[in-house]
Amino acid sequence: MARSWSTMEDFEAFLDGGGLVEVDDDMPQPYRQAVFSFIEMHANSELMGGLTERDWIPKTPGLRHKMAVLAKTQDEIGHGHLLYMVAADLGVKTRAQMLEDLFAGRSRFHNVFHYRAVTWGDQVAIAFLVDAAALISQQAVFKNCSYGPYKRILLRIIAEEGFHMRLGEDRMMRIAEGTGPQRRMFQESLDRWFWPALQLFGPDSKPDDVLLRWHIKSERNEVLRDRWVQKFVPMLQSYGFTIPAPELSYDAEARRWDVGPIDWEPLERTLAQGGPDSARRIREAADNWSRTSWVRAAMSNGTAA
Amino acid sequence: MHVYEVFIKKDGRDEFRHVGALEAANDDLALVLARESYLRRAEGDRMWVVRRDHVVAAADDFVEPNADKPHRHHDGAAVAARRKAARQSQG
Repeated sequence: MARSWSTMEDFEAFLDGGGLVEVDDDMPQPYRQAVFSFIEMHANSELMGGLTERDWIPKTPGLRHKMAVLAKTQDEIGHGHLLYMVAADLGVKTRAQMLEDLFAGRSRFHNVFHYRAVTWGDQVAIAFLVDAAALISQQAVFKNCSYGPYKRILLRIIAEEGFHMRLGEDRMMRIAEGTGPQRRMFQESLDRWFWPALQLFGPDSKPDDVLLRWHIKSERNEVLRDRWVQKFVPMLQSYGFTIPAPELSYDAEARRWDVGPIDWEPLERTLAQGGPDSARRIREAADNWSRTSWVRAAMSNGTAA
Repeated sequence: MHVYEVFIKKDGRDEFRHVGALEAANDDLALVLARESYLRRAEGDRMWVVRRDHVVAAADDFVEPNADKPHRHHDGAAVAARRKAARQSQG
């Protein structure tokens, strides 16, 4: 049943009481815009992540892992599909407009997809550290998300990201148990990817963050980031790898790891599409989109480009 | 292109459940996309796709009156109290 709220106070009281907003509800415009932008960025990130994954299909060692990468690529692109549909139903932009903005470099996607994966070790580090970071963020959104269609679609996305993270850990375990050169390759990847993965959570949440106030997100960025640090610092160390944080410290009494000060400049550069690999990534995604127009034409009875 | 709503069901469990939507040019392609988007890991044994513009949706004011029909419920409180009192007096 479509609902409406006469004031923002009424709407916020509804959200604070655990209310779920549905697509045909007459939600306040600022909420509609905020939830749309959040889902659009998630959708863009799934698509950009899927394209990175696809690049590694021919290079993935071993048939079993190659098949898993094929499945993971399909999952990521599939997540993009589901999310673009949920975002488009909000009526802010059509799916075509969202894709057009992404390929023109006008909209955002996660910082980690602004870097280049150079070695197989990088791909393993991404599968483990980045997928874990994404999973931690998504679980926190799912737990208390006030937008019903997003919450429901997150349930299946989270289940599949769990497969990806376990696959990543399985590959890391094999590398850790491998040869000296393999371990060195992974250590170099860890040196490259530790900080970008940690920065995926973003800087500390601002006190007036509307995403928190409207229960689109349920936990502060710094809380999620810390959850990742406490889990993955000791895990990486248990595999014999070194955390690339010169000021890393451990408080034995509180049993807590502290990675030291975080340089946020690299994150800010990626947000302005100025990351180390941003331009190439966006261009590749746009080229890929135009190269595959014949598939879309065939799938739309020749009516769409 | 049309928007299709997707419903799936596991045999022996639950009713058909709405899982999401997709865009497709026709029914056959909608089924392919629905299978590849929503059933990659056999999340259902049966699947329906329904064009969104074919869904007959009730207006709010059509549904709303039935939220106020207390005579169609009976919480049994009075009878339960009488039964309890009877048990205790036999007790």
